[in-house]
Amino acid sequence: MSIAAPASQSGTLAEVLGVFRRIASTFTGTMGLFIVAMVISAAIFAPWITPYDPDALDVMRRFQNPSATHWLGTDHLGRDLFSRLIMGSRIAMAVALSAIAIAMITGTLLGIAAASLPAHIERIILILFDVIASFPSLVLALAVVAVFGPSTQLVVVIVAVTLIPVFGRVARAQVLTINNAPYIEAERLLGASYARIVVSHLLPNIAGPLVVLASMEIPVVITIEAGLSFIGLGVRPPLASWGTLIYDGYAYLSDSKLPVIIASSALGLATLGFTLFGEALRDAVDPRLNRDH
Amino acid sequence: MEAASSPLVRIRHLSLDAATARGDAHILRDLSLDVGRGRILGIVGESGSGKSTLASVLLRLLPGNISRLDGEVLFDGVDLLKLGPDAMNAYRGTRIAMIFQDPMTALNPLFTVGTHLVDVMRRRDPGLSRVEALAKGEAMLTTVGIPDPALRMQAYPHQLSGGMRQRIMIAMALLVQPDLLIADEPTTALDATVEAQIVELFEHLREKFAGSIMFISHHLGLVAELCDDLCVMYGGVIVESGPVDAVLAKPGHPYTRALLDCEIDDDGEGRLVSIPGDVPDPVAALTACVFAPRCAHAIDICRADVPLLAAVAPNHLSACLRASEVLP
Amino acid sequence: MIETARYLASRLVTTALIVFGAMLLLFTLSAIVPGDPASALLGPQATPEYRAQFIKDMGLDRPFHERLLVFFGNLLTGNLGTDILSGKPVWSIISSVLPFTFILTFAAIGLAVLLGVPLGCFAAVRRGSIFDHILAFISVAFIAIPSFVIAIFLLLIFSIWLDWLPVLGEGKSGDWLDQARRLILPTTALAVGWIGFIARLVRTSMLEVMGENYIRTSRAYGLSERLVTYKYALKNACIPTIAILGMGVGRLLGGAVLVEIVFSRPGLGRLIFDAIATRNYPVLQGAVFVVVLIFVVTNLLVDLSYSAIDPRIRRQAGREAMPR
Repeated sequence: MSIAAPASQSGTLAEVLGVFRRIASTFTGTMGLFIVAMVISAAIFAPWITPYDPDALDVMRRFQNPSATHWLGTDHLGRDLFSRLIMGSRIAMAVALSAIAIAMITGTLLGIAAASLPAHIERIILILFDVIASFPSLVLALAVVAVFGPSTQLVVVIVAVTLIPVFGRVARAQVLTINNAPYIEAERLLGASYARIVVSHLLPNIAGPLVVLASMEIPVVITIEAGLSFIGLGVRPPLASWGTLIYDGYAYLSDSKLPVIIASSALGLATLGFTLFGEALRDAVDPRLNRDH
Repeated sequence: MEAASSPLVRIRHLSLDAATARGDAHILRDLSLDVGRGRILGIVGESGSGKSTLASVLLRLLPGNISRLDGEVLFDGVDLLKLGPDAMNAYRGTRIAMIFQDPMTALNPLFTVGTHLVDVMRRRDPGLSRVEALAKGEAMLTTVGIPDPALRMQAYPHQLSGGMRQRIMIAMALLVQPDLLIADEPTTALDATVEAQIVELFEHLREKFAGSIMFISHHLGLVAELCDDLCVMYGGVIVESGPVDAVLAKPGHPYTRALLDCEIDDDGEGRLVSIPGDVPDPVAALTACVFAPRCAHAIDICRADVPLLAAVAPNHLSACLRASEVLP
Repeated sequence: MIETARYLASRLVTTALIVFGAMLLLFTLSAIVPGDPASALLGPQATPEYRAQFIKDMGLDRPFHERLLVFFGNLLTGNLGTDILSGKPVWSIISSVLPFTFILTFAAIGLAVLLGVPLGCFAAVRRGSIFDHILAFISVAFIAIPSFVIAIFLLLIFSIWLDWLPVLGEGKSGDWLDQARRLILPTTALAVGWIGFIARLVRTSMLEVMGENYIRTSRAYGLSERLVTYKYALKNACIPTIAILGMGVGRLLGGAVLVEIVFSRPGLGRLIFDAIATRNYPVLQGAVFVVVLIFVVTNLLVDLSYSAIDPRIRRQAGREAMPR
């Protein structure tokens, strides 16, 4: 990754708008943007747009087909599927964003530490990264959940831990590259402290790649959370993620296929949309990161 | 097939433009030259003079952004520019072979030297068996001065030094027995000592190789040693051509004169001479002498019209209007 | 020869360290569970005598460092403990289901390579064509959508709606054809994401490689386009593919877990899932250990084969979306 000149704070809004314009210039980018906007809006405005309480039982009205009163029908306990679907988007976003935030902060700090501290500490951090990365994330999640029992917070923490090496390695690479840049040398000679260099030069330069990385990891996190919920080890009731919906629906597949189809479609569409968006974002921010053309 | 005395390669009015962001760049401008049979032609010019593009034209391995390609490139009487893709491909690796500038990247890192040579040989002679090809390859490696050829045949490119890789490229070219061997700056990427060895190799091969060689370089001294004839290129134009002794003894163009002065002279004061100014912008159209902006002898007529190549002596051409006046 | 041996040795040491570190992490996690491990494992109905016996049998009353040593001692001798519920050695339980997971994983990788490489190659050769654009879009779709979602849809479409293929389980043992038929859908579900990924990767690599100087050399000698593309360029293009495949084995295993559950196939994934549900702790630990081992050993093998194909051992890190 090459180093741009120190980022300027003014004109950042123009930069961001430019990025969005570039994303919207391709068909896949627009599609991704649209889906992401839909999911995020659903997540934010969930309490206001759900027609029913997602947990309201009405066993008399189970397995209903879509109708004017229940837009997507009801599940095996008579709960409105549309409302539960909207709720699911909220869970997906909440888990994804909090897990990624934790991983990004922790990973970046560790990465900077790895690049700045003496070699033996660096080795320890790198081995730690390798060990974490050596677990398939789902298996790690399963193992930890088995020991501590399932809980929503735990899911967030596990997913965050699996992402730490991803952010950490990128942060470390950036620090190593920047450390060698001539203008950094110049600043050092002029007496700037290490912390100042890190804050004023490293962080602005690293922000771009980290944001791109974060947005590309969102669908991964959504998938892990959904996967865990699908086997009953994810978020706990009353919270219901899309994975939970599939889990519930799967048990009653013979009664009604609708819940499974709806929840799976939502999941598939969301992951597709976020992936398209993430890739378009990456291309818009730094086309050099994409070797596909 | 033409008479044995006629030139092997006759290029007439070759013009090549490449599309760039700023417009069409005129890489080669109305170029004409001959390559005699069995003779070594040196082409000298600085970076940006278009000499490597000239080599690519002969093989017709050009990048995708070529917007104009006019003129004639007669190879043994056949115009290469008019051939279809398959017909042109028949010439590559059979009658024309090329040695590239950077030996470090010219060989595929995943295949042994032996594989490279065998594939090239079998393309030329499909009936050749692998065993025969390997034997011929080994023999050629010895000819180009590579010790322990059997071992080297099984080596991968990254296990060999730059000088050795270039020798292998030379061996590969010789193995197909081409009528024309193009060497595009074969020593530019090598250290001075290695360069000297490769030059020695070329001199050694001079007697043995029956075909013509086109030797491209920016190093005038090198070309002086090796070549029979010389072409000096500047800004996509040939400014002077002729037998190498004649051109160097009595240069007919101020640019050639200036290049000679630039060569470091042992007996001189030890000051480095350079030519002031910059190479011409390829996007700008040519309306005057291409060297005029940097020429110490330029006058008004030089800036008014494009000078054509004219004879200053038998077989010795120069594109300078003032050649006889200003040069001793 | 010596440099290969040295490389091998260093890789083995690193591998062993990673496995050791991972298991240490797992064991430590389990040991610091707040509360009473015996209750967590046995549930509230167990009688006090049973619990006391259990604690003694499992060595849960011993100090931490002693348990740690015992744990690793057992690991090294290949003793993975005993299943609480059935009393059988954990290893025999694992080894009975391991083949199923292997078959599924290898079939998926095989299918992915078989379809992905030619598709990617073709797209590179026909760059910019309709085919290229369609493939690009489908690739992203395949990569993005989780494999268990694809598995569910395949199940719904082909087994339930169309009733073409039998759905659940592994088939009657001994009936080769039946088992193969039941492999089709799970394998496809797992492989789909990787087909897209490999196709994209191969395409990108091919385009890069075709612009390299050594390809220009081959062309300069008039070698046929077929030879240049399929013998020379493709081999160079496959290098990053192998490296990233190796890195992706872990994700494949994760996907296999869920696919096994969707299709009710026996395998390591199902085993782990059931072990969690029944709180069968020794089985869980043993199974996770085996998974880690497989993953790490596979990485090692990939690294080695990689250095056999590319004599320069060049590593590339991908920063692209990978299948889930």
